[in-house]
Amino acid sequence: MREFVYDVFARKERGEALAHIGYVDALDDETAKVYAWKTYDEQNWFEMCVVRRSAIIPVNREDGPFARGGTAQGGTR
Amino acid sequence: MSEYLDTASLDAPTTAALKRLILSLADSKRLMGIRYSDWLLGAPSIETGIAASSMCQDEWGHARLLYAMLRDLGEDPVAVEHERPDEAYASVDPLDGPFPDWAAVVAGMVLVDGALSVVLASFAEGRFEPATTRVPKMLSEEAFHRSLGVAWYRRLAGSDAQEARNLLRGATESMLPSLLAWVGAADAAAVSLVEAGVIADAATLTGAFRHQVRDVLSEAGVDVDAVAAADAWDEGRGRGPGHPDADASERARGDRNRMLFVE
Repeated sequence: MREFVYDVFARKERGEALAHIGYVDALDDETAKVYAWKTYDEQNWFEMCVVRRSAIIPVNREDGPFARGGTAQGGTR
Repeated sequence: MSEYLDTASLDAPTTAALKRLILSLADSKRLMGIRYSDWLLGAPSIETGIAASSMCQDEWGHARLLYAMLRDLGEDPVAVEHERPDEAYASVDPLDGPFPDWAAVVAGMVLVDGALSVVLASFAEGRFEPATTRVPKMLSEEAFHRSLGVAWYRRLAGSDAQEARNLLRGATESMLPSLLAWVGAADAAAVSLVEAGVIADAATLTGAFRHQVRDVLSEAGVDVDAVAAADAWDEGRGRGPGHPDADASERARGDRNRMLFVE
């Protein structure tokens, strides 16, 4: 089955900036939310978000990991 | 909601009925954790295995909280957890054996966890005070189980692979009758709990369960309204006549580590 890379962002306190803490491969938005919450559960997060990597638009670099976003299969992490 | 139940003033049949409900919920949670644990390394992806691991921990935590409620009713939770024979377990019927494939795990997430959550939600709104304070946290964790289960159910139901669809439908049809009987229990014990304000009546619970699963099951071609509850019923345990396999109940009791107990 086709999976997508989702990047995971979180912050521990209300006033902190969201930080990129990792990624998950998931079937869709719903499974991405569960996988992220269950995988990165070492902290008591105030807020966590996921975003499909293909939705990220690189601004100044075309060679970073976010510029290759797409499906999990095929090594597009 | 009216005032909390005074458990000390309950008559013996109602006390027994309340113990039966708590034990059935607790045993089901413990067995569900064991069945999830079988898939920590066999799930379709690393992320799914991690989720199964987390859900397993959730279920065992829920079981521990539920077993502890028995203390309020004069039972020793440690003895209940570790010293009962296989035949005394009151977990729901679909957990009697391992889930044979991933489709069955997914069906279990939606149906078994779903049925438990419907009954727990009603328990949390009733007059038994420990349930009103301890169950809401369980239900917030269960929301993730349901999200994962529904997403995977829809994915398998819409799969191009006929075998995946057949396995999902087969698991669903196998689990539903006994779960409908469990959710819709209307024997004397169940009725006494309704009268005591502990839980909603059978029609309400069954309606809530059918409503919760109707749409997602329809994607696998299963009409939940056309499925009847199983007839076989063990009033003593509030479930069907079987029991968990020996391996699972050994794990649930902790037989292999009995000499190391520190409780």
